[in-house]
Amino acid sequence: MMGVSDAGFSPEGSFQAGASPSFPAPTLRFLLQFDRVSRIYEPLESITVRYEVAGAEAASMRALERSILWYTEGKGEEDIGVHFFERIADASDLPQVLPQGFFSNRLPASPLSYEGVIVKVRWCVRLRVFFEAGRDFVSEHVFSLGRIPPIRQATGGERL
Amino acid sequence: MRWPRFFSKKRGHRHTGSREWGSIAEGLFYAALLLGGLIFGGLLVSGVAAYAPADPGRVVLQRGYDWWMWVLTLVIPLALVAFGGSGLGKVIRMWGKSDERRAASAGFPEFLDTLGHPPHEAPGHPGVPACENLVNSPGNVLRYRLPIESPENWTLLGFGMFALLWNAVVVVLAAGAGANIRRGNPDWFLLALLIPFVAVGVGGVILFVRAVVLAASVGPTQIEISDHPLVPGQRYDVLLGQGGSGLFKSIELRLELEEQATFCQGTDTRTERLVVWRDAAGSWSRVQAVPGGRFEAHVEITIPDQAMHSFNSPHNSVHWRLVVRGSPDRWPPFTRVFPLVVFPAGRNAGATPHAPQGGKGVE
Repeated sequence: MMGVSDAGFSPEGSFQAGASPSFPAPTLRFLLQFDRVSRIYEPLESITVRYEVAGAEAASMRALERSILWYTEGKGEEDIGVHFFERIADASDLPQVLPQGFFSNRLPASPLSYEGVIVKVRWCVRLRVFFEAGRDFVSEHVFSLGRIPPIRQATGGERL
Repeated sequence: MRWPRFFSKKRGHRHTGSREWGSIAEGLFYAALLLGGLIFGGLLVSGVAAYAPADPGRVVLQRGYDWWMWVLTLVIPLALVAFGGSGLGKVIRMWGKSDERRAASAGFPEFLDTLGHPPHEAPGHPGVPACENLVNSPGNVLRYRLPIESPENWTLLGFGMFALLWNAVVVVLAAGAGANIRRGNPDWFLLALLIPFVAVGVGGVILFVRAVVLAASVGPTQIEISDHPLVPGQRYDVLLGQGGSGLFKSIELRLELEEQATFCQGTDTRTERLVVWRDAAGSWSRVQAVPGGRFEAHVEITIPDQAMHSFNSPHNSVHWRLVVRGSPDRWPPFTRVFPLVVFPAGRNAGATPHAPQGGKGVE
């Protein structure tokens, strides 16, 4: 069974490069499914993702970027580490990956997902669609690599 | 592409400003540096010879430079050209690319971008720091002796540098004042100025000597460990050795997990450190080292199951470390830190063993 993530976006947070009123992006939605309902993966395991881009004409899309990456959150500046990246911009290849498609990859041994106090490490799948109009639309879906409990729930020792 | 706004807001990771305009401004900045370097260098090179206005083929003035003088003269324009050119190349290369594509396409120009360069990683473990520097010193009893990362050493270095530089200024001023006195024309203003300068200089020397005496009198602290890198769920033997002839009111050994985040605040870059978990590995009170020897204690530490591994990225990190806190009877308390590297538990955990380099392994 696949975990379903409906990644519809509000107009305020959808666009990386800003939206024009005539752009049909508010109707654009990503439907994304992980091959594990819990979205928790062990290091070195495979991950498979199925997706569907709904609400826009496939002909208006000129490129798709699919990536699996980690990024940091918290007090520090954001760091990003891309584990898997694929850009499909060839017109002959686009019909195979849009409006729906899937991809899989083997996850690395580290870094594991971590919920610290001022440092957090998150893993996610990002899909970014580039339109002929010049705008791009990004959808991000978080999953967990490893099973490290949040530091607030750590056992033993003294939590500070 | 929207026109740039004079004022813009930053809400979390979202900016109301345009990324394209930001890149354009950055590109213009680097292009100005590159152009400035080329013009500056061109003027220096073209000004080597002057020609007669009436006879453009005849050199009337020629600047004579040795090769090292050329190097010195062209250092600034060459630096401008290198910095501007690399920055402009990076802006052009990154133009219109997504964050993921930028991060995935790290290539040749990144070697010039030292701030954004990823730290040294353990092979096969992205984001986990390498631990070569922690396993190149064999222990006397256990497998490895850990290197120390003591804030006191930096304090000592700081006091020493301050005392040296300040007193160098004092010597120069004093030499000038002495020369005036020898000529029978004492400069009273300079002499009055010397008094606070000498006082600060003497104070700096006293602080430095006090720090040296403190470091020497407390004695060295050594930590040896039975294996490295560490793995969650495993136990390790640790040997604590504390030198020094005096009495210690207390000595504590702690296993700590520290988070570190570097962020920009206005124009400043700040780093915040926070110990988020700690475990008392051992505690001793009224400790007196044997004459001619040192205090030694064996303890066992356990990295908790499901603990976070060591993590290092350009602006964020998670450190494991052993911390020794001591309170000598007649001296101020001290803290000495010994970094550890913890690998993630899992199928590949501990897959990079390091052969011991001598020592008396007794595990």
